[in-house]
Amino acid sequence: MARSVPVRKALVAVVAVLLVAVGAALAADAPRKGGVLRVGNLGEPPALDAHWTTASITETLTNHIYEGLYSLDSTNKPIPMLAEGVTVSKDGLVYTFKLRQGVKFHNGKEMTSEDVVASLARWGKQSVYGKALFAQVADWKALDKYAVEMRLKEKSAIVLISLAVPNNFGAIYPREIVDKFPPEQKVTEYIGTGPFKLAEWKPDQYIRMVRFDDYKSRNEKPNGYGGGKTAYVDEIRWVPVPEVATRVAQVETGELDFADDLNLDAYDRLKNNANARPIVSKPYYWLVAVMNKKEGLMTNQKLRQAWQAAIDIEPIMKNVAGGKAVFYRMDSSLAPVEITAWHTKLTGLPWNEHNKDKAKRLLQESGYKGEPIRFMTTQEYKWMYDFALLTKQQLEDIGFVIDLQVVDWATLVKRRNNSKEYDVFTTGIGAFYDPTHAVFLTSSWPGWTSDEDILKLQGEMARETDPKKRMALWEQQTRQFYEKVPVIRYGDLFGLRAVRNTVKDFNEKSERIRFYNVWLEK
Amino acid sequence: MGPYLLRRLAAIVPVLAVVVTVVFLLIHLIPGDPVSVMLGPDATLSQIEATRKGLGLDRPIYEQLLGFYARVLRGDLGQSYFLDRPVSRALWERAEPTLVLMLSALLVAVVIGVPSGTIAAAYRGSAWDRGLMLVSLLGVCIPGFWLSLNFIYFFAVRLGWLPAAGYVSVFTDPVGALRYMVLPAFSLGFNQSALIARISRSCMLEVLQQDYIRTARAKGLSHGVVTWVHAFRNALVPVVTVIGITTAVLIGGAVVTEIVFNIPGLGRLIISAILRRDYPVVQGVVLVTATVYVLINLGVDLLYAIIDPRIRYD
Repeated sequence: MARSVPVRKALVAVVAVLLVAVGAALAADAPRKGGVLRVGNLGEPPALDAHWTTASITETLTNHIYEGLYSLDSTNKPIPMLAEGVTVSKDGLVYTFKLRQGVKFHNGKEMTSEDVVASLARWGKQSVYGKALFAQVADWKALDKYAVEMRLKEKSAIVLISLAVPNNFGAIYPREIVDKFPPEQKVTEYIGTGPFKLAEWKPDQYIRMVRFDDYKSRNEKPNGYGGGKTAYVDEIRWVPVPEVATRVAQVETGELDFADDLNLDAYDRLKNNANARPIVSKPYYWLVAVMNKKEGLMTNQKLRQAWQAAIDIEPIMKNVAGGKAVFYRMDSSLAPVEITAWHTKLTGLPWNEHNKDKAKRLLQESGYKGEPIRFMTTQEYKWMYDFALLTKQQLEDIGFVIDLQVVDWATLVKRRNNSKEYDVFTTGIGAFYDPTHAVFLTSSWPGWTSDEDILKLQGEMARETDPKKRMALWEQQTRQFYEKVPVIRYGDLFGLRAVRNTVKDFNEKSERIRFYNVWLEK
Repeated sequence: MGPYLLRRLAAIVPVLAVVVTVVFLLIHLIPGDPVSVMLGPDATLSQIEATRKGLGLDRPIYEQLLGFYARVLRGDLGQSYFLDRPVSRALWERAEPTLVLMLSALLVAVVIGVPSGTIAAAYRGSAWDRGLMLVSLLGVCIPGFWLSLNFIYFFAVRLGWLPAAGYVSVFTDPVGALRYMVLPAFSLGFNQSALIARISRSCMLEVLQQDYIRTARAKGLSHGVVTWVHAFRNALVPVVTVIGITTAVLIGGAVVTEIVFNIPGLGRLIISAILRRDYPVVQGVVLVTATVYVLINLGVDLLYAIIDPRIRYD
């Protein structure tokens, strides 16, 4: 026995050391509550009413305060959020949504079907996606306290996805708010069911959101934008920092924990920083030259095809991305790889051909006589200006005459609504979660794609509910796109964000930033 | 001096009316409208039209202008399209940071500029003179924007001495406010100190060549007494003018400084308002800064009389 004592002592010591080590490891990895997360972003939201504007800054902010019936999972497919689930009648015309029970608004009131019916009716009158969906709705009413019924005029493929998109989304407000603010008036009282509630909004200084203690999370694990959500930080402080160099510096000094929308040239500096690191945000945008198909030179399809055949996309993308391959991708699919459901892998498309002979031939066939083409762009987004400038050079090589008009963004957005004022403009096409949400294939968005064949396929896709058939239609539409050339597709451009190392469990895979489930190690 | 003051004050009104009209027309005539910015790039035309109507932007420009005058006369600057508050409240909230920034920058400019100009003049042709004038030449040439970013890089990112950007009110945290204000005040003040130094030097040189200075020297007074007691006060009149102009220039410089250092002042406000085409706010900020500008000019004129009793206003 004399020998066993030291052995036992040693064992105890070993176990104790192990416990301490495991404990320390757990303490380091376990999410913990507390802290203020300071996020530097681009500017001021025009509103915190999700129904009211498509502005992406409004989208980011409102998704922390409000929730809709559905949300997107990590593959960008719809999953229930405030809804428990849905049953669809055999003919596909009646959708019955069951609501989750015991979900509280920030004012303490329980969310019920009357809030849902009122909110989505408002959304259906004001939001781009809401309008598209409610155009198909015949009747929309509460069945009981926790059930809502939607009757459709015709079969629809876009009910759940429309309810799930994060932009301009079907946020559920309390009914009193909906009654107080008609659709054309923006909401200025902010009450949702989300994990954070708005505490204070000081324009150009900060927006303060604090944890909502009565938040009722789903039981699932976090999944994409949906699933279980936990507010770990006490407060998110959104600080508008207009100067991008200042945003970078503030992440380096620790004045900010996170900064969005940085210039790509800050990448190396952030990579070498011991306390922070860069995040490449995908899919961000694909670059696009939008053709005015209502009036003027670009109504000529051959001329559009000549443009498409002429451009050499890779050097343009490389230049726009500051020479860094991590920031761009060459791909002809209209939906990015990240939207797995709609990414196409078609070959033989006339994309990035840079075939001068073909372009010259098309130019001749179009009957183009060297009239100046008014190409509108802006320096406010450097990438737009860069790709417009390089495009101009390439096109003039084969005989186009480009009148590059550089204006500020507000001017461009105003002018592009008037078919008399331009022939082409630059912009970026963000991720869309369903082919029917591709604005450049609609007749209501600037550039006005009114081609009958394109719109017919769009209509079919809105009605077809079989996923396989829808994909076949989408592939057909992609081929059609490259033949009719409503807009010119360039490559995918990515964005840059910066995050301090103390920020844990940030979901880097999703395109849009979300700070629930994120915690601070300090 | 009373009637003079009244006359000067009365003359301000038409000046402001012209300024406001020009600004009103300019901002309305450049294309781009607040509604497209507010509703986002995917907004439909019917949505845009409805919102324009709601804001009264569908009415002819002259009607909007008359409406604006009518409101200003009632002391009402209107409602911001973006900020969900009256323009006057937005201006009031933003006045403090700009005022603090301008005063501290002015302090930096004067404290550096006047002595270095005077010293350079007093020791004309010496190494001091050449060195100070070289620095001030640099000061005039360096763009404020570039200087600001370098200050941030060295003092905040590299050395970690001061915060890179942001603002704390002097009323809530005086020490913190000072820390946040050092870099912006120096960035903005340094350029201006250079101008003040050059003017101070040349005024001083001129005064030092006058007969009474020679007399003072002949009496056997020391170099210091001659410089600071006899010459300095007389050299001050043009310097005060320059300081007045400087203050006005600072209003413009404050715009850039406020953007770079993320100070929520009037400069930030007007830039954001222009980009958003938030017309009522643009008009409001211009009205207020123009008023301040005109008042500074008046103040400078009145100061002459105090510094130099020979100047009389009748």
